[in-house]
Amino acid sequence: MNDVTSIANGDPWVDTANGTVSREIFVSEDVFCLELDRIFHRLWIFLAHETEIPNRGDYVVRTMGRVPVIVVREASGEVRVLLNSCRHRGTKLCRGEAGNARHFVCPYHGWSYALDGGLISTSYDEHLPADMDKADWGLVPAPKVESYKGLVFAAWDPGVSQLRDYLGDIAWYLDTLFWRTPGGMEVLAPPHRWRARANWKIGSLNFIGDGQHVATTHAGPSTLNRLHSKKAGFFVRGGESFQVVTDEGHGCTLTYLAPGMPEGNYLTHPPALRDAYAEVLSARQISMMHHLRVMVGNVFPNLSFIENQVALGEKAVLIRQWQPISGTETEVLSWVLAEREASAEYKDRALKHGFHNFGAGGVFEQDDLELWASATQASDNPIAQRFPFSFHSSLPFDSAPIENARGPGRAYKPSNTEVAQLAFMRRWDAAMQPGD
Amino acid sequence: MDDERGIATVSDAAFLEVQRLLNREAALLDRRDYAAWFDLLTEDVKYVVTARVSRPAETGPLDYAIIDEDADTLRLRVLQIGDPKLTRAENPPTLTRRFVSNLEVEAAGPPNDYAAHTNLLVYRQRGTAPDGDFYAGRRRDLLRRDRGSLRIADRLVRLDHNVLFDGSLSIVL
Ligand code: FES
Ligand SMILES: [Fe+2]
Repeated sequence: MNDVTSIANGDPWVDTANGTVSREIFVSEDVFCLELDRIFHRLWIFLAHETEIPNRGDYVVRTMGRVPVIVVREASGEVRVLLNSCRHRGTKLCRGEAGNARHFVCPYHGWSYALDGGLISTSYDEHLPADMDKADWGLVPAPKVESYKGLVFAAWDPGVSQLRDYLGDIAWYLDTLFWRTPGGMEVLAPPHRWRARANWKIGSLNFIGDGQHVATTHAGPSTLNRLHSKKAGFFVRGGESFQVVTDEGHGCTLTYLAPGMPEGNYLTHPPALRDAYAEVLSARQISMMHHLRVMVGNVFPNLSFIENQVALGEKAVLIRQWQPISGTETEVLSWVLAEREASAEYKDRALKHGFHNFGAGGVFEQDDLELWASATQASDNPIAQRFPFSFHSSLPFDSAPIENARGPGRAYKPSNTEVAQLAFMRRWDAAMQPGD
Repeated sequence: MDDERGIATVSDAAFLEVQRLLNREAALLDRRDYAAWFDLLTEDVKYVVTARVSRPAETGPLDYAIIDEDADTLRLRVLQIGDPKLTRAENPPTLTRRFVSNLEVEAAGPPNDYAAHTNLLVYRQRGTAPDGDFYAGRRRDLLRRDRGSLRIADRLVRLDHNVLFDGSLSIVL
């Protein structure tokens, strides 16, 4: 099995001409194994935010596809990504989720490693043959590790391009979320973690541009937030909106304030920080932020982000990761961030607001999760797989980006078509080609 | 308030009153009678659920909030899961059974009257899934006499979970 057509019936996985996508790729374990090879064990994968490991020896334990890794700040201050598996017989060096270490000592037979992964001692060094070079037996480092504006990524293919090049035009949008003040953003608490009984791509597609699900899936918060903010005396209405697609299958959906909403003051942003934005962002980025109500998007393959503003003083920046477990299971991680310079009181409010909506108990999240699980379950059979998913509402718009968008990339209107989702599938399809 | 050192005993009458309240409350939640349930809370109620980061024992435990509501946001949450038109996760309703046990009651500082510590085990079954899920944790409720009866003023549920296994938490614990 090494071509890009369906295993079951020979149909293409992604048919961009007809706007359809095979269901098989959202459930099949064979496709999942191929994804590990061609996507998760190869491309840039998001791992952590720098502020999760501020001090020397701080580490978090994360996963890249099936690969368990330690993300550690080593003595020099650099971030290393090390395979979390002893070179002797494979035991995990770190069996929790986070901590601080001076070095890593294997609990099985006592091999010890420095923070940069180098083997210090096997505890029976005197029994080793003279020609065994300990330098060859350190913890396996990911060959590529880079950060962009506090976001730490790694890749197992040493041949990947520089992270900044990989991000391309989406970086312009990431800047406005993740480095909008001189101090940058800060993660406010450990990530929420929960299991979804659904394929990871459903999450990425949902965040890159699924304007169509909001009114139906989220009837609850959509209705109730309106009531709630009436009480607060203010509801942040959305107006013009569009989708942005950039190279490599990244993209986002932007919703601006409705006409008549007070503009030009960043609305719900902390007043004390507004002046700082101009110190690090361009005039064009700031003009986008002035008018923005919601930005939601995805960096290929599985890093999503959202900033949503409902009522005055209620907004949060969130990172979301769809960590694949199998064809039909995903672990979701969700972080809430705020500007480092923001007041403690503001950070507290952002955190509460962030996970009231999105997180392990989020009022938005719970309804998405239930429906994704049901789509996955209903598609996990050969009869359903004869009938592909529809991405048709991308087709009339896919070849017609609009002029005068407010930022880089190709922008499309209206925002509630499936153009960005089809772009994600196109990139996925290319990544899955043997020669890509 | 979170640790339980020096739990001072209260009278049997007080103990029974607290136990009755918590049992009744669990039954209302299992029946999804949220209107009656809300009536057992003070108007300034706080509701927090935490999960735990798995860390080396030497580093010490770290709990972090996954739900942190005041009366207003808790009301929104419950309006959503209680209205069939406004929830997908709870329509069809999930089946729940709450077991509230190991009660210890101590006097609490003003304005509250008691702190009640209980173990909580919630069995929950969704749709036609063959297997149910469990949420387990330790609960700490601050109770206050308010409008004539003892009511829940502040609830902290410390879940014994780090990864939540059944999607996103759409019930009240
Ligand atoms: S497995 Fe680590 S020392 Fe043997
Ligand atoms: Fe959603």
